[in-house]
Amino acid sequence: MIQPFTPDPLSWVADDGQPIRELPARFTPEVLRGLHRDMVRAREFDRKLVTLLRQGRTTFYAQSRGMEATQVGLARSIRVGHDWVWPYYRDHALGLTMGVPLLDLVSQCLGTNSDPCRGRQMPHHFGAGRQNFVSISSSIASQVPPAAGNAMAQKYLGVDEITVCTFGDGATSEGDWHAGVNMAAVNGAPCLFVCENNQWAISTPLRGQMASETVHVKARAYGMPGYLVDGNDIVAVMEVLAHVVEELRRGSGPALVECLTYRVGSHSNADADAEKNYRTREEVALWTARDPITRVEGLLEHLGHPVSAEERAGLIAATHREVDEAVGQAEASGQPDWRIMFEDVYADLPVHLREQAAFLRAEQTGGRA
Amino acid sequence: MTATEPKPAVQGSEAQGTRTLTLIQAVTEALREELARDERVVVFGQDVGARGGVFLATAGLQAEFGERRVFDTPLSEASIVGAAVGMAVRGLRPVAEVQFADYMGPGFDQIVSQAAKIRYRSGGQFTAPLVIRTPSGGGVKGGHHHSQSPEAYYAHTPGLKVVMPSTPYDAKGLLKAAIRGHDPVIYFEPKRLYRAAKGEVPAHDYTVELGRGAVRREGRDLTLIGYGGVMPDVEKAAAALSKEGVEAEVIDLRSLVPWDRDLVLTSVEKTGRAVLVSEAPRTANFMGEVAYVIQEELFDALLAPVSQVAGFDTPYPYVQDKVYLPGANRIAAACVKVLNY
Repeated sequence: MIQPFTPDPLSWVADDGQPIRELPARFTPEVLRGLHRDMVRAREFDRKLVTLLRQGRTTFYAQSRGMEATQVGLARSIRVGHDWVWPYYRDHALGLTMGVPLLDLVSQCLGTNSDPCRGRQMPHHFGAGRQNFVSISSSIASQVPPAAGNAMAQKYLGVDEITVCTFGDGATSEGDWHAGVNMAAVNGAPCLFVCENNQWAISTPLRGQMASETVHVKARAYGMPGYLVDGNDIVAVMEVLAHVVEELRRGSGPALVECLTYRVGSHSNADADAEKNYRTREEVALWTARDPITRVEGLLEHLGHPVSAEERAGLIAATHREVDEAVGQAEASGQPDWRIMFEDVYADLPVHLREQAAFLRAEQTGGRA
Repeated sequence: MTATEPKPAVQGSEAQGTRTLTLIQAVTEALREELARDERVVVFGQDVGARGGVFLATAGLQAEFGERRVFDTPLSEASIVGAAVGMAVRGLRPVAEVQFADYMGPGFDQIVSQAAKIRYRSGGQFTAPLVIRTPSGGGVKGGHHHSQSPEAYYAHTPGLKVVMPSTPYDAKGLLKAAIRGHDPVIYFEPKRLYRAAKGEVPAHDYTVELGRGAVRREGRDLTLIGYGGVMPDVEKAAAALSKEGVEAEVIDLRSLVPWDRDLVLTSVEKTGRAVLVSEAPRTANFMGEVAYVIQEELFDALLAPVSQVAGFDTPYPYVQDKVYLPGANRIAAACVKVLNY
């Protein structure tokens, strides 16, 4: 039985891949290979997008390198397209694993015509209707109260869906975080709060963010269970989430799961030299040694089903090809023109926007209709 | 239990005449009828349940529709407004009450970053059709935490619709239209008119289209334009001017976003003079936008500069409550100045 409020992160697999406790039967070598594939795909997507950034083909990107077990584990623990997700801006591994098409993700980062969000937001702030993956916003923790409301609506409607709300450790300092978590708790709404605790909010470390030892203990104050999980151990993430999601579907009310992980890369291209500026090489090296992908590779080796160097290279090459193709397709679709700027502000175009659109049309066409 | 599609509204043919209601009774009636019509409608906020809201706008609704449909929330504007966004995205029609417009601050980010933007930023994949009702304006000895007129903040935010009725008829019709619409609406209720404004309200179902103003009085000499709590004083000023032989045309904007530019421009083109009245602080007042459009479109037709009567650029005062507000005398004086230009 998984208990809330344990002082140490719940782990199943050690850094070198050795199981610490009995491996649940559902984690067959085939399943583990699938999870490994998902994580490698997410990481290589990261790598390719950073390259695009360096080439000046996109303007912003927030890596999730090192956090793949948390996001892939979460994506594989919910019913995609049935449950609802209110994510934060570092969640592309989550979206990708939930089945948001890679072309859509790339298109959003490039702001092309193939972007379902129509080039309205800065790169990496996507949303996907088919997956109920709600549009990402930049303002920290502002997704938390709406996630509570989304879950309240699910309870009102009597459906067996749950709502997932993700955020980093920094978000827990915002008033919106406390307001939203409390709202869900008071209303017994099926909201799963997942803290992707990567230990840094841009350059502010966890200890500058909060004086409590962990995030998950805050759950107790709101009257909900809180769990602390080794966020680099995908088996642990999925085991805890399986338990919590089942409880939520049974009507237990909300829960908070803190996945302790690490953002190996910088916050974004805005602080490209994180190690030099605000953290030590030793710290980064420590967490690199806890890498979630090599841990699964160690586990598969332990189980007698190692991932060969060729296999891994094949996976990497396949993802690179996939991203290259998507970039080609996205760029070929062109940039949206001025017209879309006025659409989707309201359900219908009001008169003042009609006039402003007419003004811009005249300017853009040199007076031609 | 699942929410079903709304029942068709009762048509005018089933009309049972009109009754005299106060503005707040009209608000309550709109909420009651929409709760009955559409199971997706939920009404919530601080004290709106058993208590019926601090002004009793929701009195009796929880008893009638139950705690599932009408409920109290924690004391948190961020979570009241933010939860409304999430409910709307998931398919409900939330009507949230913020106890005073002055308290919307903690919910501001939820309104401008989430409610106003989600349709746009998701390319229409997600939408938030919600209504935030909130009492606003002065004249009730409330000091600056219970008397402000913050409508310009919200009118300045693309994606929001902004409404402020001044009559019971409009209060009911606009609220019903707001609930049935597909955009987030900030619905300001001029609290000093809650019980002071009485009027005929049809018993049958009707709506008042957002974005349409109303001519309250026809006239040829100048156009007086206002909205919300100032309207009784605007009409008083027009009546006083009439005794002096000056016929002012009086327009109630009713909606600020979108606002009825055709109605305003047609009137000002006819009269050649415009006096704009609101109680919000003068700087960056919404009426500044109205004045700008009038001068841009009708510069040649104007017989005098457009004049504005507004609140002062001070925090709303407690003791000087009545002096702060643009009463009938100040409005009439502005009209005389414009007429004598």
